[in-house]
Amino acid sequence: MSPELTGIFALVAAVTVESFAQMFLKIGAAGGPGILLVPYRRCVGRFSFSSIAASWVILGVIAYGLEILLYTFALHLLDVSVAFPLGSLCFVGVAMLSKMILGETVGLIRWLGVGCILVGTVFVAM
Amino acid sequence: MKRAQTKLPGAVVVGLMLAIVLDTFIQIAWKLAVSHVPGDASLAATARGAFSSPLFYAAMLAFGAQLYNWLRVLARADLSFAQPFTALSYISVLAISSHSLHENISASKMFGVVLIFLGVFFISRTPFYTANASGRDQANPNLLRS
Repeated sequence: MSPELTGIFALVAAVTVESFAQMFLKIGAAGGPGILLVPYRRCVGRFSFSSIAASWVILGVIAYGLEILLYTFALHLLDVSVAFPLGSLCFVGVAMLSKMILGETVGLIRWLGVGCILVGTVFVAM
Repeated sequence: MKRAQTKLPGAVVVGLMLAIVLDTFIQIAWKLAVSHVPGDASLAATARGAFSSPLFYAAMLAFGAQLYNWLRVLARADLSFAQPFTALSYISVLAISSHSLHENISASKMFGVVLIFLGVFFISRTPFYTANASGRDQANPNLLRS
């Protein structure tokens, strides 16, 4: 596998981990898994730690640590002009997780906003 | 059944502004902390270089403050509403970097800045909080909201 492709894989992993880190922090801030949509609430309910809000914050911080490592690794292999816009895909990941798992209202205008930010970061990185 | 809230509380506005300021500080302090490390240095050498700089510890302190502030924002606003606002720190970092290096911002960068502003504007026009009418908040009182 070429270094560029390895870097892109590392960056996609970093974006995925960051999106989940944000979701974990949101669950912690909201006081626990009560914020999750019912199927996911039932799923995490099997784990004893899930009812403690602080454990979600800790999970979020650990995920952030992992994301920093993955992003730093990706930056060693990729040009900033590629890494920066790709990294902003976390806005898309967060919007998707917020809608699908937290049940937040993510309408067309919010998606349009995310799209503008995404394209904007491509131009800022040029 | 869900209902959306549209009037943005002052605490969320202040929290989002503080998040952008802290994010900008963290990025610049982090960059300055490793600025004396050669570009081709190993990951371990970069880490050693960062640990030897007081700015690294200032960035870590700001990171702690950012975490606390961000949890308070998320306690009051949707994640998909609040998180895109952090893109504004791209603009503040770009502005500070360009000012300190006395560089002009290119037309393409300016276009990107405008698009980011436009994106954040669109998001600011959407409801900031989706409350679950089935009693989500009552069932899980928010520890950070008090």
